[in-house]
Amino acid sequence: MELTEFVIKSLVILVIFGLTLLIAMYSTYGERKVAGFIQDRLGPNRAGPFGILQPLADAGKMFFKEDFIPAQANKWLFIAGPCLAMLTALMTSAVIPFGDSIRYDGLEVAVQAVEANIGILYVFGIVSLGVYGVMVGGWASNNKFSLLGAIRAASQNISYEISMGLSIVAILMMTGSLSIREIIEQQHGGNWNIWYQPLGFIIFITCAFAECNRTPFDLPECETELVGGYHTEYSSMKLGFYLFAEYINMFISSAVISALYFGGYNYPGMDWVYAQLTSAFGDVAGHNVATLIGTAAFFAKALFFVFFYMWVRWTLPRFRYDQLMNLGWKNLIPLAILNIVITGTGVLFLKPIITALLN
Amino acid sequence: MYPIVLLSVLGIVVLFLGFMKSKSVLLPATLLFLVLALASNFIDWNQGKVLYFYEMLAVNNLTLAFNAIVLVSAFMIVAMTRGFQDQEEAQPAEYYGIMLFSLVGAFMIIGYEHLIMLFVGIEILSVSMYILTGSDKSNLRSNEAALKYFLMGAFATGIMLFGIALLYGATGSFNLTDIQSYVSIQGRGVSYILYAGLLLLLIGMLFKVSAAPFHFWTPDVYDGAPTIFTTFMSTIVKTAGFAAIFRLLSHSFTPIYSFWWITLAAITVLTLLVGNIIAVYQNSFKRMLAYSSISHAGYLLIAVTSLSPQTENAILFYSLAYSIATISAFGVLMLVSKKKALEGQVDESYAAFNGLAAQNPLLAFVLAVSMLSLAGIPLTAGFWGKFFVFGSAVERGLVWMLVVAVLMSAVGIYYYFRAIIAAYLKEGDIGKIRIAPFYRIILVVATAMTILFGLAPGIFEKLL
Amino acid sequence: MSPTLSLFYFLSFLTVLSALMVVFARSPIHSVLYLILTFFCLSGHYILLNAQFLAAVNIIVYAGAIMVLFLFVIMFLNMKKEDEESKTNLTKVAAVIVAGTLGVILVGAFRKSQVGTYNPYAHDSQVGMVESLGHMLFREYLLPFELISILFLVAMTGAIMLGKREVGERHF
Repeated sequence: MELTEFVIKSLVILVIFGLTLLIAMYSTYGERKVAGFIQDRLGPNRAGPFGILQPLADAGKMFFKEDFIPAQANKWLFIAGPCLAMLTALMTSAVIPFGDSIRYDGLEVAVQAVEANIGILYVFGIVSLGVYGVMVGGWASNNKFSLLGAIRAASQNISYEISMGLSIVAILMMTGSLSIREIIEQQHGGNWNIWYQPLGFIIFITCAFAECNRTPFDLPECETELVGGYHTEYSSMKLGFYLFAEYINMFISSAVISALYFGGYNYPGMDWVYAQLTSAFGDVAGHNVATLIGTAAFFAKALFFVFFYMWVRWTLPRFRYDQLMNLGWKNLIPLAILNIVITGTGVLFLKPIITALLN
Repeated sequence: MYPIVLLSVLGIVVLFLGFMKSKSVLLPATLLFLVLALASNFIDWNQGKVLYFYEMLAVNNLTLAFNAIVLVSAFMIVAMTRGFQDQEEAQPAEYYGIMLFSLVGAFMIIGYEHLIMLFVGIEILSVSMYILTGSDKSNLRSNEAALKYFLMGAFATGIMLFGIALLYGATGSFNLTDIQSYVSIQGRGVSYILYAGLLLLLIGMLFKVSAAPFHFWTPDVYDGAPTIFTTFMSTIVKTAGFAAIFRLLSHSFTPIYSFWWITLAAITVLTLLVGNIIAVYQNSFKRMLAYSSISHAGYLLIAVTSLSPQTENAILFYSLAYSIATISAFGVLMLVSKKKALEGQVDESYAAFNGLAAQNPLLAFVLAVSMLSLAGIPLTAGFWGKFFVFGSAVERGLVWMLVVAVLMSAVGIYYYFRAIIAAYLKEGDIGKIRIAPFYRIILVVATAMTILFGLAPGIFEKLL
Repeated sequence: MSPTLSLFYFLSFLTVLSALMVVFARSPIHSVLYLILTFFCLSGHYILLNAQFLAAVNIIVYAGAIMVLFLFVIMFLNMKKEDEESKTNLTKVAAVIVAGTLGVILVGAFRKSQVGTYNPYAHDSQVGMVESLGHMLFREYLLPFELISILFLVAMTGAIMLGKREVGERHF
């Protein structure tokens, strides 16, 4: 690999990594602000102007708290739990294309860490590993409540993974590719998947809520039943890692949703913008600016869904556990299978008719 | 080919029939489906060797005949279930569905041309058997048997898969014909990996047919499983398993016969010794039948080891004779043990048969004929089965093995006759046993077939 | 040594080490975690072979689903006291002899047999990709692929049948 390409790639990866962390950090702030807005109060407003230094203050508080490990706990696994949660949360963004490509010195480098042939499966695989952080941490705490919380979280996650995977299958049948970049590029020109897959989208976003343990599916934490859930025994930055991983997951799942269903870095009128920019700034600079605008569109979409998560959290009450399981197994999975059948029929019979009519 | 597709679909139909209020439709429906499968089986009859689905499945008269034996046995066993109507906890739709699916597995391993098919088929067959073994949920022994069978079976499957992988490594193909051409080109110069792979594959398959020293699961599982499913296991799995072993060895590995026959011969002798000698010490009739099934695996192995032109017919005839006799023996056992049940605990010892002949001459006669056939007494099908098997061994010149086999048959007479003696000569207070008409027909037909094939074994060869 | 080769050796070392640790670890939880590590290493091998689809599916199915269920069960079994199941010496000796013989046979077989050669120019690097895998599965391997669904159906039916709550059965 050429050095310049390597440098650009590394820069892209670092920027994406930093942005992910930053967004996750400010999601905590955003959450409190949104909560304040919805509940008709102010939210954090002391640390800095509008309270924007609040996340830093929170982090500082987390760091200086006592780092406590219970006496009978399995020390190594107790530490490994939050590390695993954080690791899996951060690994996911590797295959998500945040933008088209950057041209520099005759090179064209994609705004994406790795372009993988199996991108969406990679995301799916890493998400399914997220359970381990929770389970290992919950078990290692040597506390019944932690263990029960961990088991709850894990069973919730694996239950909803099934319908999540099935809802993705419908997308794959339409695009014929597992690569996320390919999926995004096929949605070029307002051809977003949401128009074709409304049912799939609803299933996917419901499962994404459950996977991130967000309201209305935040069953793993429940004061009256489980004290604090799987992180009852955690304190200081280990607890911080668990909470932080949740926000990262939220952002990543929002990014995946916007990539799969809302065209990723495509936005209406992008061809016109591209033509204007290249004619104004030349091929290289214009292309790069257009890419940046696309990336901005991507982040805007993703951030909207992060907001959506918060919106839902402060509006909807939570489910009961048996309702959660019934919804997952008895409603979402049959619906997802139905969606696959409908999509298959559409691709096989409807698509040729429509293309014949259009031509 | 056709029965595989048919039963895959019809099994699902049976599962759906379970939604209906009345469970009484299940038994006739299942029997009808089995008849349909049997009819569809003969579509390919006399077509020569036909390959299906990119050489995944081969069909010729031999595989069709094995399929037919399996189907006929299944028909008899299903007919004896009487719809599980008298059991409260039974879930007949699931039982019948799983039985039909397991037949799909049996057909796959009878006619496989590709090792993937062998693997998938054995898995379907085994998983069904694990489930049926544990189907009596309230019985602790049934649960234990299921778990034991499952753990051991999973391990054997692993070994088998490793063997298949090594075979692929050596030959570069899963296809039996490709493997055969590789072996016949290389002769004894084949890769050593092939030897290792063949041995591991054989171990996995011999486990499924319970040959010693891979038989340790057999007595407990046969004993613990509900008797009806024990019957299913000891006939269908054994027939299909031997068809598979014979297919593998005769089709692909004849050129290196000099390599594998020693191993197989040792296993054969060990199986004969273990099965027959331990069977002598059993007090439970059901457990004795478990060991007897091990010993019959030994006799069938003689035929496989000798691998002469006669072997094909010998295995076919032997498995037919063995299946019919086993089914009628278990059929009688089921009736008697239920009659003698004390507080829900069924009596499966020899003593349960005491005085059977006095009030139930038919049952006693059926039992006697099946025992004679299993022991290999002349004028029964079992005699000719053993005769053909020994004949193929003579052809290969394996006289020493024959001596062991004949001695062990003599031992076998002892424990088979214990049941007959109990039924005819001992005093007992067993009352009149009511037999459902259909059940009676099955028992009579099985006995008649045993005697018919015993009087005129030529009929069978005419049929082929 | 090329980077790929050294990576291969490193991965293989890790695979064997974690597989051994599965057997030797005292706590069953540790065993399971080492097993997950083994699956990861195997996925690494798949990626080295350019079989990305298999690698991902291996992670999703084994590490992501099956091992989670393993952990589930083991976490609920309260195995705090590390009471080792005592085996008789006879069993141990027999096990060592059998495993040793098998090991010797396998090592001997591998030592004596020729390693197949391959032609790097004729090799199709796309063979492990999802497209070619799909074509393979739905054409040559259609029959076994479809019949595996029967296997799963049997397993599911059995699981439901055996796991179904009976009338009067006590659940916590």
